[in-house]
Amino acid sequence: MSEALAAALAAEHAAIYAYGLIGVRLSDGAAEQARSAEAAHRSRRDGLVLLLTERGGPVPVAEPAYELPFAVTDEASALRLAVEVEERTAAVWRAALPATEGADRTRALNGLTDAAVRATRWRRTAGVNPATVPFPGRPT
Amino acid sequence: MSGGCAERNVLAGPEPDRRTDDAAVSAPAPSAAPMVLTCRVRSGNTNQTIGAAGRSRREVVQAVALAALVGATGSLSGCGLFGGEPDPPPPDPLAPLITGALDLAARHEAAIAAFPDLADRLRPVAEAHRAHAAELSRVTGTALPSPTATVPGTDPGAGSSTALLGQLREAERQGREAAAQACAGAPADRAALVGSIAAARATHLEVLR
Repeated sequence: MSEALAAALAAEHAAIYAYGLIGVRLSDGAAEQARSAEAAHRSRRDGLVLLLTERGGPVPVAEPAYELPFAVTDEASALRLAVEVEERTAAVWRAALPATEGADRTRALNGLTDAAVRATRWRRTAGVNPATVPFPGRPT
Repeated sequence: MSGGCAERNVLAGPEPDRRTDDAAVSAPAPSAAPMVLTCRVRSGNTNQTIGAAGRSRREVVQAVALAALVGATGSLSGCGLFGGEPDPPPPDPLAPLITGALDLAARHEAAIAAFPDLADRLRPVAEAHRAHAAELSRVTGTALPSPTATVPGTDPGAGSSTALLGQLREAERQGREAAAQACAGAPADRAALVGSIAAARATHLEVLR
């Protein structure tokens, strides 16, 4: 159970790193959207650090840097990465669902749901249609 | 990357293995936890997953054994000797979710019929609900009803598309709540599917704004 949440924490670290690169390529509403998303990831990260520390298990720390799946050079690639980051984060939280129960399951579902909603918002911002997927977080 | 497992880097990879199958959840655990995104499903949660699933299977076995006892008692008292019909099996706990998915699909389809301009936005949502119903039907072994679904509570003829979108939002909100509750109580082998359905319904609220 805690290992699934540790994986989620590692994903949140990576997402926060990615948003640092995404945000500087965006402006106005999209930049605000990125700030809000990054804050949400930081909040999830902080909650997980607290929880995992209390439990005494491994608490993954952030890497100094993460290799990106593609270069972020402009607004379009920044939006694409934002969608990608949220999809991947959703998948990690989804993978935690079978490994958890009770409050941890609820935490995982909230993580999945929030990431899926942000992925949809980013697709809309990027003009991707459809903006939704039938099974968020599921490998296809 | 450090740790000597660059292929596991969360964000890395020329062709990232982002569509890992669910089966990969039980793949061997990597040593480096932070590099999650490209190997997220494989990272580290394996033993826990198996452990949780194991507990769940035991619970299921216990539940089945209990059901068998109850069933046996029921058949002794209710039928068998006197030719009565055996009790039908109890409905699957996910049955209401199937009904709900079909209802949501029908609502969106009716809305599209009434306001074809909404088709671009609503068609993928309607299709998602159909896909949810089909997948729930598959995992529960339940046959879907014939596709002549009624559309309760929707009167597309009267009212604006704005009002209709409001009705759809409310239906999706209730559907998300129902799926979230079902996810909370679902056994491990159903939790991910039901969780994805709850998340999908939350995303539908975004496109209905």
